Amino acid sequence: MRSFRNLLIASILAGFFLLAYSCTPGACFDETNAYMKASLFLDSTGKQTAPDSLSLWGTGMDTSKIYDAKVSLKQAFLPLDGSSVKCKFTIMINGVYDTLTAWYSTFPHLISKECGYTFYHNLDSVHTTNHKIIKISITKNSITNQIEENIRIYY
Amino acid sequence: MKRTYAYIISLLALISTSDIVAQKPAASEPHNGNIMAHKPAATEPPDTVVFPLAIRVGIDFAGPVIYLTDKNNLTAEGYLSADLNEKRSLLLGVGYANYKYSQYNYSYRTNGMFIRAGVDFNLLKPKTSMGKYWAGVGLHYGISVFTYEIPELSQENYWGMTTSSVPSQAHWGHFIELTPGFRAQLFGNLSLGWSLGLRKMIYSGGSKDTRPIYIPGYGLSANTFSTGINYFLVWNFRYRKINVIIKKEPPQEPDEDVTPQPNSGSGNNQKMEP
Repeated sequence: MRSFRNLLIASILAGFFLLAYSCTPGACFDETNAYMKASLFLDSTGKQTAPDSLSLWGTGMDTSKIYDAKVSLKQAFLPLDGSSVKCKFTIMINGVYDTLTAWYSTFPHLISKECGYTFYHNLDSVHTTNHKIIKISITKNSITNQIEENIRIYY
Repeated sequence: MKRTYAYIISLLALISTSDIVAQKPAASEPHNGNIMAHKPAATEPPDTVVFPLAIRVGIDFAGPVIYLTDKNNLTAEGYLSADLNEKRSLLLGVGYANYKYSQYNYSYRTNGMFIRAGVDFNLLKPKTSMGKYWAGVGLHYGISVFTYEIPELSQENYWGMTTSSVPSQAHWGHFIELTPGFRAQLFGNLSLGWSLGLRKMIYSGGSKDTRPIYIPGYGLSANTFSTGINYFLVWNFRYRKINVIIKKEPPQEPDEDVTPQPNSGSGNNQKMEP
């Protein structure tokens, strides 16, 4: 029976060592931003097509562009302002300006203990001028950190 | 992954101790490993052992020890259990947890009580256990009543910093747990033991977007499966003794190596196929 007691003591010591070793913090490997994902479609063909050039920035924030004359871009990621209920973007497709406005609600969402919280959005409506853009449609209201299309822009 | 390794190693330790116990012959057992195996007479009364049943009070000391190294994580818990017989005992555990966590983009606080109740099964033979040693597994249902809040959370993106908070809210959590463990008498009525907690979440409370990170009694609730470990100091109050009938070992057949047949050479030609 002495072996029992020795094994118990040994297992307790080993357990504490393993417990301490296993309590190392983890790292965050998930996407922590919830972007509004906008797919670009050529209206004449109805197919997802990258424009020759695309620039995008928040209206009034001309000096800080989200995309600057980007080529081969079929889907644009638009960050939304969690402190506001709407965001206005200036979008330039093939050198022609349009303004895109999105209305939405914002709420916090837990990704994981390591990554913490992000802000998800529920897209209420979108509106755009029609200089180059022909039409715009919502395909998924829920804006999350997943790679899921939210709106379609036809140009 | 590291935590998983830790528990696998602990489980192996548990299994190995059980094997040792199972292989260790008791001093009182007849030595029947040779051809002169003892055959009890049909009229011989069955062997029994006197097995003390006990009510136990256990206090976990892993939680306070962890608190000494991490002031953001306090868990205090204990249990009361009563032997039903030599194999089964009922358990009722209660505890309190206060957990805080913060990193660059959020902070989190929770505290609450939890109870767990269920049955513990002793896998040791009564003759080995004798009320002093326990190696087995518990099956428990746990309920946690807790409040949690996110005092501040923030995120910075293209538009600048967005901050928010989630006020304190009360919730219930439900889980089941499997607790393989080991306990041994130190001296007198005092025992020491440890158990793993392999827990499966049934209901965690909270909305899916701001669900709790940590649930008292369950642990980190990011996954529907959680693990933990407890070390218990246990006081035993023996309240009754019962006689437990021991199954006798069937007498072993004479070993062929020990009783070579005439003209057999190696002595094992009976197993040879024609």
